[in-house]
This record gives sequence, structure tokens and C-alpha cells, in this order.
Amino acid sequence: MNDESLTDRRIGDDDWERMIAAFRQSAPHSSGAPPWLETRVMAEIEALPEKGSLARALEWLVRPAPIRVSPLVGVAALALFALVLTVPRGSLGPSGAGPDGVAAGTEPDNETVVYVQFVLDAPSATSVAVAGDFSEWQPAFSLDDVDGDGVWTGRVPVEPGVHTYMFLIDGTRWETDPRAERYSDDGFGNKNAVLAVAAGA
Amino acid sequence: MESRVERTDAQVVRDVLDGDRDAYRLLVRRYGDTLHGHALRMTGDSDDAADLVQKALVKGFRKLGSCRDPDRVGAWLFRILANMCKDQVRSRSGRAIRLDRVESALRGDSDPEADTAGAEIRSRLWGALDALTPEQKEAFVLKYVEGRTYEEIAAVMDLSVASLKMRVQRARKALRGLLEEFA
Repeated sequence: MNDESLTDRRIGDDDWERMIAAFRQSAPHSSGAPPWLETRVMAEIEALPEKGSLARALEWLVRPAPIRVSPLVGVAALALFALVLTVPRGSLGPSGAGPDGVAAGTEPDNETVVYVQFVLDAPSATSVAVAGDFSEWQPAFSLDDVDGDGVWTGRVPVEPGVHTYMFLIDGTRWETDPRAERYSDDGFGNKNAVLAVAAGA
Repeated sequence: MESRVERTDAQVVRDVLDGDRDAYRLLVRRYGDTLHGHALRMTGDSDDAADLVQKALVKGFRKLGSCRDPDRVGAWLFRILANMCKDQVRSRSGRAIRLDRVESALRGDSDPEADTAGAEIRSRLWGALDALTPEQKEAFVLKYVEGRTYEEIAAVMDLSVASLKMRVQRARKALRGLLEEFA
């Protein structure tokens, strides 16, 4: 294969596969993690302070764990669930789940509002909020990084239509959503992300 | 004779959370190589890659209680590392990949002329890749260099397949433009 040709002329569709092959061939080749990795990781871990019994107890409480139930209990739970589904909406009160079984907060009562999931990779951030024309550019909606992996997510109610928005990191730094489908100039030299929300999306 | 059954990832996670720190060693052994390979491809520097993997594994230990699916702790650790790699790439934005240090890790060719030509090609290709956004670079490396499926990548990166495909498509488009500029 003549690799030179890949970058010496305009790259067409036919060249794409050959270029990918060149990437693979020239990729930094790892022969495995360095032999000292395990020793250093374990030494660093051993040096960490022991968690107190209270911290471990709290961790145990929030740790996800499978729930095992006997078939008899399972049948009883299903019967109870079916009973709840047949109860009229009004009898559950204004904040209860309706007959469609949808939990409050996951589906808007107002049919003209759609909940949009926002996601931002920001491993070094301590807080992330979203602001846009739907919030009068106030960072009213905070995103969460529940598992501490640096991915911040949150669901925000937005009316159908075309909107612009940005993320506010640590309360000071504005960042454009790298995942947006479209962008528009904000008039200050930056780009807003553009969000199109269809009714009933 | 007592048969020794290897512990599953979920069992290891449970043991570690119950106080058996040394059990974490099993996860380091199981996933260290995969993590290091990805970090090397993202950073192009074996020292940086090793440091990132070490930090990611220690962070994984500290946050292990928040791992929602212990059966897939490997993917969870990968995600931690991938985010750290993107952060590293972002922090050195505008700085060329340290290809001189990559050379020692590349497959060798004893022909000096071929070495020179190969280094030039590598410099162009990987220099262009380094000019992408960290997110685009990550998507491209996972899809085309590491050869993972969209479903695998989407699961690891917590993206929908549709969003991921869009990101890969953007990476392809940007890369194509960059390489044409170099031509």
C-alpha cells in the first residue's frame, strides 16, 4: 500500500478504508501496562486512610444490590402493583402516579413541555448548569454527576420550538455543548448550541 | 484437591467494598492492559499513558461504591480513564503529539528510509487526529483504531448509538478536512 498517496491528494471515499488501515498500522502499540503499575496502584491504595465504620455503613446503604424475593412474594407484589394501576387518578392525590404508571417528574403534566436530557463530559468540573433562552439565560437547571465519572446529566423542561443554550461550569465558565446538532453565533464571539424540540418528542 | 474458582468482577467489587483492599489487585490485572492501550492511543506518550492509568485505577478504587453495575466494572473503569484522557488531551490543546516518544512504542522497521517515511506518515495522520476535539478523537480511536462496535462504545461512553454515530461522523468529516489541508 502506498501510504503517501493518502495524504498527498484529495481524500475521497475510496481512500477512506486505506486511510483507516494506515491509522491502525501506525497506531502507538501497547505491549501491555508497565510491570510496575500493579505495585504502584496497590501501594497508593494501601496508603489511603481506612474508612470509618460510619462511612462504610452509609456506603452499604446506598450501594446498589439485587433484591431477591420468593415466588410467593413476587406474585403478591404483582397483585399489589395491578391494584395500584386500577385505582382512579384522583384518589392518589395530586402528586401520585397516574393510571398510566408514569412516575411524577418523568413526564410533564403540561403537554406543551418536553423534558430534554442534557449531557456534558466535564471531569474536572465541580458544578455544571444549563442556561438558555428557555430559562432566560439563567443557570436555573443544575446537572448531576451521580457516580463521579465526570459525565454530568440532567433533565430539563423545555417548550417545543427552537432554542439556544450553553453550559455554565463551576459558575464561571461558559461552554458550548460539543454534542449539539447545530450551532449559532451568540454575538459575542462564541457559539450557542441550538436545540430543536418537537411537540410530544 | 480444592478447586480455585476465579472470582467474578461483581464478587471482587463486593469484597473490596467489604474491606478486602487487596482484592482490587485482580481488577488491576484484568483491565490494566486494555486501559493502558487506550491511554497510549489517546495521548501518544507511554509515560503519560501509564500515569493516567494509575490515576484512573486509584480513582476507581476511591469511587468504587458508586459503581452501579459491578458486573461491568471494567467498562466503568474504562469510562473513568477515557474521561481523564480527554481532559489530558484538552489541557495540551495546540501542543503537537509527542511522536518522538511514540516511536519507541511503534512497531519497528529496520530499514532507515522506511523508518523516515513511516514517521512522516505517522506524523501527518496522528497530527491531524490530535487536532480534533477530544471527544471526536476519542470516538475515532475507539471506532477505527481499536475496532470496537458502536454498541460497545455507546455502552462504555454512556451515549446513545445515534449520538455516537453523529460524533464519529463529525470526526470523519473533520479529519478528512484536516488531511486535505496537509496535502
